[in-house]
Amino acid sequence: MSMNSFRTILILLALSGTCSPLVGADFAHEVVPILKEHCTECHGGDKAKGGFSLNTRSLFLEDDAAEPGNAAKSYFLELIEETDPEVQMPPEKKPRVPAEQIAVLKKWVDEGLAWEAGFSFGAKTWEPPLEPVKVTLPPALSGRDHPVDRILDQTLPTPPQPASDAAFLRRVTLDAIGLLPEPEELEAFLADTDPEKRTRKIDELLANDIAYADHWLTTWNDLLRNDYTGTGFITKGRTQITSWLYAALRENMPYDQFVRELISPTPDSAGFINGIKWRGDVNASQTCDIQFAQNISQVFLGINMKCASCHDSFIDRWKLSEAYNLAAIFSEQPLELNRCDKPTGEMATPKWIFPSQGDVDPAAPKAERLKQLAGLMTHPDNGRFTRTVVNRIWERLMGRGIVHPVDSMDSQPWNEDLLDYLAVRFAEDGHDLRKFIRLVMTSNAYQSQCEILDQEAGEDYTWSGPGAKRMTAEQFLDAIWQITGTHPEKPDANVDRALPDEDLVKTTTESVFEAAPVSAKWIWHEGETDKKSWLRKTVKLDKKPVAARLMATCDNYFTLRINGEDVAESKVWMNPVYIDISKWLKQGTNTFSVVAGMTGGASGFIGEILIHDGEKQTVISSDKTWQARRAKGEWAAAKELHPHGAGPWGKLLKPQFLASADLKKYPAGLTPPVRAALVKNDFLMRSLGRPHRDQVVTTRPSGLTTLQAIDLANGDILSAYLSKGAEKLMREKSGYDLGEWLYRFALSRTPTDDEKQIISEVLGDGSDPRAVEDLMWLVFMQPEFQMIR
Amino acid sequence: MYTFEEKLARRSLLKKLSAASLAALGTGAPRAWANADEVVHPAPKADSCILIWLAGGMAAPDTFDPKRYYPFEKGLEVDKILSTFPAIDTAVDHIKITKGMENIAKVMDRGTLIRSAVQPDLGHILHSRHQFHWHTGYVPPLTVAAPHLGAWMAKVLGPKNPVIPPFINIGQRLEGVGEKEELKAFTTGGFFGTEYGPMNLPYPEDAVRSVQPPEGMEPGRFANRYKHYRKLIDKNPNREWMSDFQQESMLRSMDAAHRLLQSKEKNAFDLTLEPEESKKIYDTGRFGRGCLLARRLVEEGARFVEVTTEYIPFIHWDTHENGHTTVDRLKKEIDLPVSQLILDLEKRGLLDRTLVIIASEFSRDMMIEGVPGSNAKDQSRARAEKLGEMKHYGLHRHFTGGTSVAMFGGGVKEGFLYGKTAGERPLVAVENPVSVEDLHATIYTAMGISPKTAFNVEKRPFYATKDGHGKPVMDIFA
Repeated sequence: MSMNSFRTILILLALSGTCSPLVGADFAHEVVPILKEHCTECHGGDKAKGGFSLNTRSLFLEDDAAEPGNAAKSYFLELIEETDPEVQMPPEKKPRVPAEQIAVLKKWVDEGLAWEAGFSFGAKTWEPPLEPVKVTLPPALSGRDHPVDRILDQTLPTPPQPASDAAFLRRVTLDAIGLLPEPEELEAFLADTDPEKRTRKIDELLANDIAYADHWLTTWNDLLRNDYTGTGFITKGRTQITSWLYAALRENMPYDQFVRELISPTPDSAGFINGIKWRGDVNASQTCDIQFAQNISQVFLGINMKCASCHDSFIDRWKLSEAYNLAAIFSEQPLELNRCDKPTGEMATPKWIFPSQGDVDPAAPKAERLKQLAGLMTHPDNGRFTRTVVNRIWERLMGRGIVHPVDSMDSQPWNEDLLDYLAVRFAEDGHDLRKFIRLVMTSNAYQSQCEILDQEAGEDYTWSGPGAKRMTAEQFLDAIWQITGTHPEKPDANVDRALPDEDLVKTTTESVFEAAPVSAKWIWHEGETDKKSWLRKTVKLDKKPVAARLMATCDNYFTLRINGEDVAESKVWMNPVYIDISKWLKQGTNTFSVVAGMTGGASGFIGEILIHDGEKQTVISSDKTWQARRAKGEWAAAKELHPHGAGPWGKLLKPQFLASADLKKYPAGLTPPVRAALVKNDFLMRSLGRPHRDQVVTTRPSGLTTLQAIDLANGDILSAYLSKGAEKLMREKSGYDLGEWLYRFALSRTPTDDEKQIISEVLGDGSDPRAVEDLMWLVFMQPEFQMIR
Repeated sequence: MYTFEEKLARRSLLKKLSAASLAALGTGAPRAWANADEVVHPAPKADSCILIWLAGGMAAPDTFDPKRYYPFEKGLEVDKILSTFPAIDTAVDHIKITKGMENIAKVMDRGTLIRSAVQPDLGHILHSRHQFHWHTGYVPPLTVAAPHLGAWMAKVLGPKNPVIPPFINIGQRLEGVGEKEELKAFTTGGFFGTEYGPMNLPYPEDAVRSVQPPEGMEPGRFANRYKHYRKLIDKNPNREWMSDFQQESMLRSMDAAHRLLQSKEKNAFDLTLEPEESKKIYDTGRFGRGCLLARRLVEEGARFVEVTTEYIPFIHWDTHENGHTTVDRLKKEIDLPVSQLILDLEKRGLLDRTLVIIASEFSRDMMIEGVPGSNAKDQSRARAEKLGEMKHYGLHRHFTGGTSVAMFGGGVKEGFLYGKTAGERPLVAVENPVSVEDLHATIYTAMGISPKTAFNVEKRPFYATKDGHGKPVMDIFA
């Protein structure tokens, strides 16, 4: 490519940003007022004098009234500038449009006649219904009787071709649990002849509670502005909802209850409505009260209250008073309306934005008001609540919302019946998110080939198949970790990912031990609780044990040494450590020493050790026979806080697993490998679009930028994964055709002959780990890998 | 509506009339509706911009704005002291700065010194919040992610040389330092997206690694890898996906990245290619090497480069105790590299078209926190009414009433002094105060960006200067 064409590309890239430049013609603030002042009285709303209405952009452009990008050829401007009283616009008796306003209009046309998505001067042409709308399903065509197909087939007589089994498997696995299907899984799926195998696969994936939660945590962290690091934490102006959120996803909490617990929260779920509190003075439109109004409107209703937080919105119906009245439900103090950061003297009254469906009691205390609000938001008559969430999920699965962008739920969907049907069905199905995902995934529509667009779909979008989606930063990393086996060891998110007991049994093997009820106690030192406790126990063994195992955990963290050697540590109290300790024990005196730490809240250490000498099993439990001391304190008998199962912790330790598990399977404890959604943002993920969650984020950028591409070409983080992965693959996959294995894992297909030839050029004789690194890079950089089709 | 024929007839008629009607309308430059002036980008005075950021709060009375000086003396009443450094002459008769900046003093005739920059009292005078304000023009929190000054230049002006990323940030680590999350919040392209975000080069001496193949990969292997990549793309069996716009843009970006990584311009990132003699002048530490890197990048066509002394709470210019001793050391770090940067740019004929700014989030005073009447909490760690120990000797409190900003090149007047602070406490700006918004408007104007430039985000306009209200200080331009 020549320098010149390269320059052109960069310029194109610069122009294709996500936001449109407004050099002087701001549609909402400038153009709309002019058109309202001079034109829409006769050519807007239900009036269309001379057959001309400018309610919407497409109506405006009908009959060549304007030519976007060319003011000089735009007929309506000619009429406005016309001096002949017979033909001029506005007509003779009305005031002329002043020159400076004409200039704005010209600029607006020259810049392409930008229009706010969904905006119409004909407020009556489409109004988002508030109530749920029941839809009578049209008849099935060609036996396609899934409700989604029955609706969509009406608009597209020739539906898209079904996706291949392999494409389906890759798509559905990434969409449901955010992972790639493993090569063995692909093989089994392709070989399966059961006609119901796709539905079975969907059910199997959605039943994987932990993997589902690991994946959807990303979406909900973005939506609920939840993260493990970020602004606000430093001054305690912000709290996480991670543990609550993860548990809610894992147990598939019904969505209405989920939202009620966010709006009328417990301390664990309060972080969302409390917002981020900054030290110091804050603009009136960004106080925590106003953040509350903005965030619940945006996330749960797809309503933009950001305009109305400063002034009555210019482009939709929301008013300053509505934003403040909503905020007042949350506010501890009487709330004064501020217009553009200036106090107005007017006071807000706590009030719901849809009073026709009931209201909060303004005299009630805050907690009660929030409870009432939670009830109103999730009320069965509030159809906007369910439409918003089904639209968001549809967008995640299909690449484009039925209303798009997904936050502009005031605008018209491209298929109203579809949105209405899905929303009502979702409510009927008990606000069950997984059931809803299943509903979409089981449709022929979802299981079809992706449409191919040569440019981003505009307002004239019509359904012609699911859209391709770019992997999120988390999906990209999870996939690479899957293939290279380079998962981080510890999550940063404080979440309960311990496998349920029945899953544990599946992974167990025979051993010499017998499971017995846990007799260990939660212990700490006597007296006032400090942040740290030193614990120890000395045991005399007649001979070196043939086998020995330990399970232990601590709220919040601990390290354990045996005879002076570091043996175990844990930073997540919910995930006890299970390890084989045989090799550290010896005949004679053995000392277990623990440094236990507490970072806040409850504190306690619990552990149990099984020792087998070949004849019998001995149990050593944490209890008052241990010694304990505080920092610089004297050793004394440990204090027993609670038996196992009591206190705030529940039955964390699994004796049956300790006795019989194949401890190698999950060396870091009883949890599946750590996923990207559970660790702090890093340079690579940030570069791939994981946001700094200071604000609510509802969509991720779909494009790869040049700076990102540089990071992918030479970034340290990715390079390290590749080189670690190459070593591992060469060790573990030595008997395999590596290229083929990699293609099957990464792309769910085998390479073609052409590709095989290139792969073998890269790999050479297969003995150079650098060649394997390069091959992985080549595969991971393919758009085919980074896209979900 | 008119028939098609009628339209045609009217069009030709209108064409004839057009000259007359235009005259009748009497339009000069088009003006925007309402009271806003038309957004017309001013003619640029500079093509590149280097922001030298003295992070942590540079005390003006100890640097660019000398006041009454007393040397350290046990028992001395603190409120007598305004400066802890004596004044020195500069190349400009009526401008004095402080001891320890002798080399910068020699180049003061190449630029303008503003002594009246002011910052708002944000309740708490916090570094990261003021830095956010200074770098984006907006006070956090915000409903949308605000773009950095450099991102605005990247977005509106684009790259100067297409292979050099338009926004480069030198010297600030974003991991492993205090308040890192707050730093990340403004070190970003914001809602413009990552295409306009910074290329971060925390260690100037390692900058070249950002444009090199990954560590341990020889150039031949790197080039080969990309060659194989193109081959695999060409041989991909899913031909129908080639026209997909998302896929296409992905491949374009990969291509652009590899172009930079294989270009000759990437040598600009490599400090080992600088002649030893020149390197020695700059090499006062990471900051000095950052200045050298900035010069090399601007020579090769970088648009916006920030070089920071790095913000770390209580370190560098965040002098909460032992201020005098610390600033004495810091001056040694900045004096030569900054002056040499100006001289080098001048020697290469680049200073005229490069705007160099030296700034900090606020100033400091020995006695007053914030501005008079502020309820800001006192953040000083070394406080005393009378000097007892050396560690009390220094300007330890955050002060937002009068801050110095120096600008060189880029069309600003030479040897010019703008604004003035009081001679006695409180040392507030008493002449021509310049707000953050107005300072930004001035910088944008020099770069050829209207301060009213706006982009639409979430249905609302977002302006280069807050609400489009920043007014450039035209007096400082030649």
